[in-house]
Amino acid sequence: MTATIDTQTAQPGALSHAGTRVGARPTVGEVLAVTALLLLVVAAIAPWLLTPFDPLAISPREAFQVPSFTHWFGTDESGRDVFARMIYGTRPSLIIGVAATAIGLVLALILGMLAGLGPRPVDYAVTRVGEVLFALPGLLLALIFITITGPGVVTSTIAVGIATAPGYARIIRSQLRAVRDAPFIEAATVLGRSRFTILRRHTLPNAIAPVFVLATLGVGQAIVWAASLSYLGLGAEPPAAEWGAMLNAGRTYISTAWWLTVFPGLFIVLAAAASTALGRSLQARTRQVQS
Amino acid sequence: MRIGRWVLTRALGGIFVLWAVATLIFFAMRAIPGDPAEAILGGPGSQASDEAITQVRSEYGLDRPLYEQYLLSLGRLATGDLGTSYALKADVAGLVGELFLSTLILTVLSLLVAWAFALALALWATRGGRIGRMIGSGMEIIAAAVPHFWLASIFIVIFSTALGWLPPISTPGPLGLVLPVLTLAIPLAGFLGQVMRESLTDALESPFVLSARARGESETGVRWRHAIRHAALPAISLSGWAFGSLISGAVVVETVFARPGLGRSLLNAVLIRDVPMVTGVALISALAFVLVTIATDAIDRVADPRLRSA
Amino acid sequence: MRAPAHFAHRSIAAAAGITALTLLLAGCTPAAQQNTEPTAGGTLVYASGDAEPTCLDPHVGGNYPQALIATQYLESLVSKDADGQIIPWLATAWEPAEDGLSWKFQLRDDVTFTDGTPFNAEAVQANVEHLLDPATTSSTGYLALGKVASTDIVDEHTIRFNLSTPDSALLDSLSMPWVAIQSPTALARGMDVNCESPVGTGPFIVTDWKRQDSITLVRNDDYNSPPADAEHDGPAYLDEIVWRFIPDSASRFAALQSGQVDVIDNAQPSDIAAAEGQGITDLDAPRPGASNRIELNSGKAPFDDIRVREAFIRAADVNDGIEALFFGTADRSFSVLSSVETLGLSAEEHFGIDPDAANALLDEAGWTERDGDGYRVKNGQRLSVDFPVSTNQSIPAEQSLFEQIQAAVKQVGFEVRLKPMDLSSWYSTLIGNDYNLVSAPYTKVGPDVLRILYHSDSITPAPSGYFANLAQLNDPEVDALLTEASQVTDADERAALYAEVQELILSGFYALPLYDQQNHFLVGGNVSGLRAMPTVSTPTFYDAWLAR
Repeated sequence: MTATIDTQTAQPGALSHAGTRVGARPTVGEVLAVTALLLLVVAAIAPWLLTPFDPLAISPREAFQVPSFTHWFGTDESGRDVFARMIYGTRPSLIIGVAATAIGLVLALILGMLAGLGPRPVDYAVTRVGEVLFALPGLLLALIFITITGPGVVTSTIAVGIATAPGYARIIRSQLRAVRDAPFIEAATVLGRSRFTILRRHTLPNAIAPVFVLATLGVGQAIVWAASLSYLGLGAEPPAAEWGAMLNAGRTYISTAWWLTVFPGLFIVLAAAASTALGRSLQARTRQVQS
Repeated sequence: MRIGRWVLTRALGGIFVLWAVATLIFFAMRAIPGDPAEAILGGPGSQASDEAITQVRSEYGLDRPLYEQYLLSLGRLATGDLGTSYALKADVAGLVGELFLSTLILTVLSLLVAWAFALALALWATRGGRIGRMIGSGMEIIAAAVPHFWLASIFIVIFSTALGWLPPISTPGPLGLVLPVLTLAIPLAGFLGQVMRESLTDALESPFVLSARARGESETGVRWRHAIRHAALPAISLSGWAFGSLISGAVVVETVFARPGLGRSLLNAVLIRDVPMVTGVALISALAFVLVTIATDAIDRVADPRLRSA
Repeated sequence: MRAPAHFAHRSIAAAAGITALTLLLAGCTPAAQQNTEPTAGGTLVYASGDAEPTCLDPHVGGNYPQALIATQYLESLVSKDADGQIIPWLATAWEPAEDGLSWKFQLRDDVTFTDGTPFNAEAVQANVEHLLDPATTSSTGYLALGKVASTDIVDEHTIRFNLSTPDSALLDSLSMPWVAIQSPTALARGMDVNCESPVGTGPFIVTDWKRQDSITLVRNDDYNSPPADAEHDGPAYLDEIVWRFIPDSASRFAALQSGQVDVIDNAQPSDIAAAEGQGITDLDAPRPGASNRIELNSGKAPFDDIRVREAFIRAADVNDGIEALFFGTADRSFSVLSSVETLGLSAEEHFGIDPDAANALLDEAGWTERDGDGYRVKNGQRLSVDFPVSTNQSIPAEQSLFEQIQAAVKQVGFEVRLKPMDLSSWYSTLIGNDYNLVSAPYTKVGPDVLRILYHSDSITPAPSGYFANLAQLNDPEVDALLTEASQVTDADERAALYAEVQELILSGFYALPLYDQQNHFLVGGNVSGLRAMPTVSTPTFYDAWLAR
């Protein structure tokens, strides 16, 4: 127990030396997360490197084969190789995750900056709007958006972006407010720097850095969200091998072909967990730099 | 005096949110393609006759100008009349009230279970050394990454089909609640755990804990008396958010486990363009969110006096 | 009905000796095996995968989920037996007038609605008026009675239907649950109340409706009006039926396996296969009316060209897919009518698979170039066809089959753009004519469904915008045959006309038949005596009982 206390009491001291931990040796978790993400990126860019099978090659006679040395993850209801579909499905799935997060963050940045940097009345108005959006379940926003625009990958991606924006906007606003009131901004104001310079040189860089961390955290969640929309029948168009759509299609056969449900689910968990883990460790490291 | 003003501001803010939600839903639902009159008659596939459509339009006031319909609906909402569901042909207030209770039980239980899991994980992780921390945070991150409907399917296969311990659909008794609650609680526990562990770690390093240790209090005593109280604060203020995310999760969980509730009705209502039902569900979730937020803020103010002057 | 025979053939080997099965197989004669003596009592839980009805009165709107539950508490004037013959129910006899412009029905004089109102000619008249009243917002029942102009009460238990034109489908129409007879006293309570607790003469009574959860039906102890082909007389065996809604098919099946529910509908093919050997039996009750088929929209390019239509059908190899995806639970159909329909024409010769012929036909039709992705191109336009798919109506196996068709026709240069969507969006897409292919089920008793699906009148949208002739088949010869067939009274002449018109439809490559409208119920091992009504294939729990 003493040892624990020692490390804990020692840490705050270490943190005050800005940057000392940034270059620190990566932890096991970080190594695992980065490896997983690298593999996913390879799968997204060059899927043919990882599997010899065509993800769209239909062969009804080979349907529902259990996992084997030939078909690592078995075959699906149309006799397609599930592993190949997982690998080829990485690109559309990651694109959905990244694009949805980007849309959510851009919307959130606009709202957050209006609120965080604008005059009080603007802040008040935008905060109220954010509150309204926040008060609605995210899925309701997504559902309504999809029914207005019609289902499909593009709309469900935008829908996920919209649904996640209010949460991000909240964090960005408070981040901006905190930075604006920080001593070094006050110092800059006292020194007579123009508001624009302060904004450009000090406020934004300090406030925006955490946004990129948020983005890494968000990608994983966006993938999970998109999968939920697929379950509700509002996702990708066949025959595209998208993880959420595959998971949803496979679930029908859960009593006869477990592999159609288990593997797509594991891929979603893997991708989401890896990007979250990366986000968390980036967050920890940047925070240490700041303090 | 200050408390009175605080309550008044919050109440007005809450009313504003409800008005905005009603307005947003009203116009969004009108933007959905399709004639609301057909939604009332069972959708465009129902081959409703001309007479039937005219009949319904005048009955529901759909033949009036949009602004008039909007004002009328606001007027009705202001008096607490949520209207009649297009699809279920029943009073929305009654329906939503009943469904809300069911969803409330599910979400509150899930929130409590998620808190318990998160706290247990966080406590274990902070005292388990490097390996413990790693495993703890790994579990939190993985839990937070699990899609609800996948977890639900796996649970059903394991605990219902294979082991036969728990029913795969909601049943009146408490047994039927186990799987839905676990499905909602586990991903949420992942999120709450991450936040809690962070503040718990901070709290354990804070001067007052160090001084408590210096006074010779036992480690367990320190953790329970000081650290957890402070670590729980951010978790409590997150509960408003958690509640909203639980309602989103309930859409999926209530569908999989065939449990009556707001989430499942919401999905059906949006898909068949049942405007009064969507409005009702949106308003009650917004109201719940507003109340939870006010409550958690109030708890924060009580627990942390510094906030009172802010 | 052919379903029981078909069912027997497959299941004997798999599950011989299961008592529930033997009753089903026998259809009308109770098999003499152990424990086959029905016992009264118990609560049966039924789990439906369909959407919860919005109104329990099937006059209002009129869809299949309403028919499923209404079969338990409402009854019609006539029914059908397993051979497709019309049999007495609430009406004991009927007779058309010489000119076919009126029909006289003799009614039972000993039946009472469950609210105490007597069943008589006045009640029937009130029901016809209720169905034809726009305020009822009936669609299915309204269409079924489309040719009924008025009714006359001849005496207390005799009623005359006056028609605008002769209607050879009148008896078929009257057998459907959407025109079942309800208590006039109950109807007078107004739509909201009647939707919640409709009152009929059936073996069960609606007592409670917990929205989004379940409907409770209790036994009608005074019941005395089973159709002529029922197994027994008097009240039903079951005390109570709890009618639940479990939208998720995997959960529904898991609930049946673990015993929370006793009967499920909308069973998935893989689950039916998995159920074998678990003491669960499959009640296969294909729906009447049209088969499940893909319509080719001949109203616009590229399927306005018969060569392109034929090429598509010659290339769309579905046989292996149906075999694999449906686990042998669905037989390939070569008819636009259900196998239940005795007048259906099956023409396998039009559906031979021949990719070479398909390629030749497309070349001939001017689709000679290919683009980088291998799709055919004409005048810079890719040979693309849109296929909106309703995820509510097409089960996952069917959606997978469509993907396989997409892959198969790609070989000859078609690009099929599959678009899964919710029901409302799907209808909007059809109304907007934004489709080239579509699969739209249509349930109706009798071959008159052909008139609804393929007469050019059905291209003209209804007030709601919907039109049933989704192939947009517009051929005066087809129209003339369909109109004539709907009016002739001679059975042979009628059969010949329907055969002729079906040949025209099939040889014109307007539709690709797949299989019957699948309607599988999985029945737990403790349930016996469940059978499907030969009218619209809804199960009736009148003869069903629970093993103790």
